[in-house]
Amino acid sequence: MIQVEALTKRYGATTAVDGLSFIARPGTVTGFLGPNGAGKSTTMRMIVGLERPTSGTATVAGRRYADLDAPLHAVGVMLDARSVHPGRTAFRHLLAHARTHGIGRSRIEEVIAMTGLEPVARRRAGTFSLGMGQRLGIATALLGDPEVLILDEPVNGLDPDGVLWVRGLVRDLARQGRTVLLSSHLMHELALCADRVVIIGRGRLLADATVQEIVDRSERAGTVRVRSSEPEALERALCALGAEVLSVEPGTPRGVLRVRGVSVDEVGVAAGRCGAMVFELATEGGSLEDAYLELTADAVEYRGRATTVGPEAGAR
Amino acid sequence: MTAAATDRATSSPTSRPAPTTKGPTVLRVVASEWSKLVSLRSTAWTAAVTVGLTWVTAYLSANASSGDPGFEPLSSLSQGLVLSQLSMLVLGVLAGTGDFRAGGFRTTFTAVPRRLPVLMAKVLVTTLVGGVVAVVSLAALVLGVLPAARSRDIPLDLTAQWTPQVLLGSGLLLLGMALLGLAVGSLVRRTVLAVTVALALVFVLPVGFVLAADLASPPQVGVSTETVVTELDPVSTVMELMPSNAAYRMTTTPDSAGPDGAPDLGPVGGGLVFAAWILLPLVAAGIRLRTRDLT
Repeated sequence: MIQVEALTKRYGATTAVDGLSFIARPGTVTGFLGPNGAGKSTTMRMIVGLERPTSGTATVAGRRYADLDAPLHAVGVMLDARSVHPGRTAFRHLLAHARTHGIGRSRIEEVIAMTGLEPVARRRAGTFSLGMGQRLGIATALLGDPEVLILDEPVNGLDPDGVLWVRGLVRDLARQGRTVLLSSHLMHELALCADRVVIIGRGRLLADATVQEIVDRSERAGTVRVRSSEPEALERALCALGAEVLSVEPGTPRGVLRVRGVSVDEVGVAAGRCGAMVFELATEGGSLEDAYLELTADAVEYRGRATTVGPEAGAR
Repeated sequence: MTAAATDRATSSPTSRPAPTTKGPTVLRVVASEWSKLVSLRSTAWTAAVTVGLTWVTAYLSANASSGDPGFEPLSSLSQGLVLSQLSMLVLGVLAGTGDFRAGGFRTTFTAVPRRLPVLMAKVLVTTLVGGVVAVVSLAALVLGVLPAARSRDIPLDLTAQWTPQVLLGSGLLLLGMALLGLAVGSLVRRTVLAVTVALALVFVLPVGFVLAADLASPPQVGVSTETVVTELDPVSTVMELMPSNAAYRMTTTPDSAGPDGAPDLGPVGGGLVFAAWILLPLVAAGIRLRTRDLT
């Protein structure tokens, strides 16, 4: 279990992490999500004792990282795929790491096989592709067979096959009862493998909930979209039912309504009552991505200028 | 591959380390740092260059002075270290900066969160590697002056009077350079900067200091050059305390006088001053490592 309480880190006038609290529990994959510069990596570095918090605490299995008897057996860490001397072979890197805890060669061979590094194990890490570097980083984290895994952007740079593999791996690790904290700025990636998501922006906690809860929180969650011949009449009928009309795309007689607060069935019945022909009727599910973008809208540090492809482009 | 790999990840109860194998011990950290240092090509390269440079320099300088009437092969032994101390310094710097070249320090210090044992282990393994290189270099040194000595039919007696001590001092000079490099490298962390700082400390600083002192002092018109200087001269004193001069003292015999106007440190005193030059950046590196964030 990873427990972060009121964790704060300031560099001079800049506050990188601001009173952050969350818990990553055993048997779950906890996604750690936030825009670039939100403080994810800083938080992870504080958890593993590379940086000292300005205030607050971070503990693993109830203890500060620096107080752990055998850190590698307690926590597997991958903070950066480039955490290897480029002149050292993958095997030698793992060997040096293993020796700090008296871990034997058989375990090294095991994690090499597990991460598919056999063909490149005797090659110097400087010649590795980003994907191979990630695999070596994961192999390093798995070396001590730890109960807790902290992986910073593990799918970054992996090919589709590798992404699938990481997804399966973290799910398996969680199923074995281990705690997995996994950071990413790719929300759909987390939607596929995380049980819970902790979202931060500008160092502050924005959300800490299950993936489903966060998706439901999205504005678009539970929205019904209906394209019919009589959008105005249908709009009046739905409003009478207490529905909230989110948008109307006129284009009579093929207008599209997006409403919330009514079920598809209710919309269908209402359409029949007011004699509207229905061409399309469907619920629009919210996605983690939408929810994430809404949550972090104010917290994005680096944003490109919005390109105009909105209503104007649609109107033509 | 994917499915098989995942399966293996889940089913490895046998691979779980026995509960007796616990965390990092001094011996384990030393073993880890040992595999790190010897697994780098730069270590092998700088070691080979050190031995090669020692032999070449000793050979050439002995040959050059073998024509002198009073040629004494053993007295030119320390000449052979002029260049090779440089590559020893670089060997040490690379040992110190290796973890910081990429993000390797994150791996290192998440495994050993107390941090200082890593620095101490680095000192130990650099001493081991540097010691071996120094011993081999001493052999190269003797082999280098051998042809010149043979050409003049001067027998080389390595057990004669001060010779063992001079050889020991020469070895310690090389070893010390590696440790000075390690200390500077550990403190500065960036390879290029650390090499520059270390070279400046050993080679540029003394020269620069002499030049500055010369420019600063007024031209000595009318002062007899015959005057015997008995008082301590601040410039000579500071020069004698510089790392390179102090280290050089270790390779001299106790009966050889130091330069005029400077305290006579002798080989042991010189060694102690040199050791202080190593300890200073090493302690600073330890304090930086222990108290600062590693980002």
